[in-house]
Amino acid sequence: MAELDVNLIDGLAALVLLTAFLIVATGRMRTLVRVFALQSLALGLLAAAVAYSTGYWHIYIVAALTILLKALVIPRIIDRVMDRIQVANDVEPSVRTPSSLLIAGGLAILAYYVAEPLIQSGETITAGALALSLAVVLIGLFVMISRKKAITQVIGLLVMENGLFMAALSLSYGMPLIVELGVFFDIMVAVLIMGVFVFRINRTFDTLDTSFLRRLRD
Amino acid sequence: MLELLLLIPVLTALVCLLLRDRRKVEWASSLGSVALLAASLLASYDVVTNGAKDEGTLYMDGLSAFMLMLVAIVSLATSLYSVGYMGRELQEGRFGAKRISYYYALLHAFVMTMVLVCLSDNLGVMWIAIEATTLASAFLVSFYNSESSLEAAWKYVIICSVGITLALLGTILLYASSIQQLGEGGGSLEWSSLLAMAGQLDPTLLRISFILVLVGYGTKVGLAPMHTWLPDAHSQAPTPISALLSGVLLNCAMYAILRYHMISSTSLGPGFSGGLLVLFGVLSMAIAAAFIILAKDFKRLLAYSSIEHMGVIALGFGIGGPLGIIGGLLQMLNHALTKSALFFGAGQVYARTKTRTIEEIRGLSKTMPITSTLWFAGFLAIVGCPPFGIFVSELVILMAGLQAGELLVISLYLVLLAIIFAVVLLRASRMVFGHPPKEQGRREGDLSAILLIVALLAGVLVLGLYLPQGLNDMLEGIARLFPGGG
Repeated sequence: MAELDVNLIDGLAALVLLTAFLIVATGRMRTLVRVFALQSLALGLLAAAVAYSTGYWHIYIVAALTILLKALVIPRIIDRVMDRIQVANDVEPSVRTPSSLLIAGGLAILAYYVAEPLIQSGETITAGALALSLAVVLIGLFVMISRKKAITQVIGLLVMENGLFMAALSLSYGMPLIVELGVFFDIMVAVLIMGVFVFRINRTFDTLDTSFLRRLRD
Repeated sequence: MLELLLLIPVLTALVCLLLRDRRKVEWASSLGSVALLAASLLASYDVVTNGAKDEGTLYMDGLSAFMLMLVAIVSLATSLYSVGYMGRELQEGRFGAKRISYYYALLHAFVMTMVLVCLSDNLGVMWIAIEATTLASAFLVSFYNSESSLEAAWKYVIICSVGITLALLGTILLYASSIQQLGEGGGSLEWSSLLAMAGQLDPTLLRISFILVLVGYGTKVGLAPMHTWLPDAHSQAPTPISALLSGVLLNCAMYAILRYHMISSTSLGPGFSGGLLVLFGVLSMAIAAAFIILAKDFKRLLAYSSIEHMGVIALGFGIGGPLGIIGGLLQMLNHALTKSALFFGAGQVYARTKTRTIEEIRGLSKTMPITSTLWFAGFLAIVGCPPFGIFVSELVILMAGLQAGELLVISLYLVLLAIIFAVVLLRASRMVFGHPPKEQGRREGDLSAILLIVALLAGVLVLGLYLPQGLNDMLEGIARLFPGGG
């Protein structure tokens, strides 16, 4: 395969990780959603590049679905939810931004060490992207834990899922099509359900701050 | 044939959604559950006598048949119990009349996703089905739309989704290791083919994959320390749903782990995945014991007891060997029946006392003698008193542990069981015996509920006294599917 393809794929994978850092860094909700859309777009293009260089047609479908659902539809849904409940534009992190960035950097290094033995045994052209995708998964998890608003938790989950898609692409050129389609379906339904819950949490507690969800305990 | 098993709950859910009259919805739901049980019985009988069935994406062997029967039995009990219980809640105005159709539609959609978990051959489809169980049951957990049920449902969806994301990563790694062997296009996510080629899979990938899957699906099983969603969801959901969550949902997630355990122990030997199962099993029992001591709400107490039993089941399968596996399977069955009966009883007690706080309940034996006697019998069964089935299955797991020479594990197991035995019975007798706080007349629970509890406990009692030959053959057949279980 061409050297260019590998460079393009690695470049796009790096862009996905970079946007994960931006998600940690940004202090505005609207920007957060835009950056997530950008990340999904980069991921979709990455999938398209993999499809082009390997010639597997089913990856084109995955690429198209990623761009359609995760870069367009889901950000639109989240925007709508934010409009309807008039959410304040501040992210309200419980870990402050500079320390958050440091932790995210640490997670990226950790991901590299975890992925090292796996990259050795990988044969795909995208194996190099595995460390990057694990880093994205871990950073997504960190966003979920360290941000208070319900919507940011949803975005953290979606970032984790983006990381997973990149991992699947880099290890095995994605999964069988039926599985990919099912996963997309589940993600769509999950976002819709979480959207409904965000509405109800806002209506019931008059806030989106999930640290109010502390009633049930022993 | 196997598609039919999925079609029945889907159709039932649709019919329930379309009907508006409460009586008709209840009939549709009950008949749908009876049909599912009948179809499951037929399919399982066929599998046990004629061997495993492979229909492309769907696959059914003895283990799937066993799980399917659990789902069908408990969901039938739940939908019958719902008629009386949700009917009363409706009359008391806890939710609007229109929502009863949604309740039954979601209930059967939830059952369908669990049936799909049991029948899928493809590990990717199994993942989709397990995520779908969370999505289908989320609105059931938040059904009352109160502050606390909303909190429980949010935690449930978020924590389980994160867990399951890790399980997907594990599945991807397993797929990657199969692709390395067979090449692109030949690679497979069907666990039956993965099991056949387990010896050739990359051991490093397989190890990391199993850890991720155990942590991921373990979240859904309620294994400690990923269990935090479980007591909230179980205590806030409508009581029939609590029974379904505790009795079968947890077992379905455990089933997924067992499929990976089979692949992993065929390839790496039983030590690695079995050892991890034992570790998480003991940890879950210990954490459950601690929280059972602290629990103030009787539904939360029952939820922690489910964590404990999932720990016992993980321990049984982790120790392995024919005894360990049969003990684990029996424990799944006994726990599903007993815990459903206990939640059903809890629903009747709540309807009478309007509180779930253990401290505030006294003298149930005076205010509702028959219901409370049955409830107390359920508590005796769940802590492992003879002659109930859980005593036998816990004894079988004990023997498996002794045979394997796991003395440290077994002593921890016995100590934790003893602590839980004492605390649960203490709490139960506090509620059942003594004098009621204020003078109340005698009023039993619903007759239908009492009959269901009697039926479930009778099942556990029979399993404690003797093992029917058919079931015994089936369990031995399932044990042979596991490496080292023959």
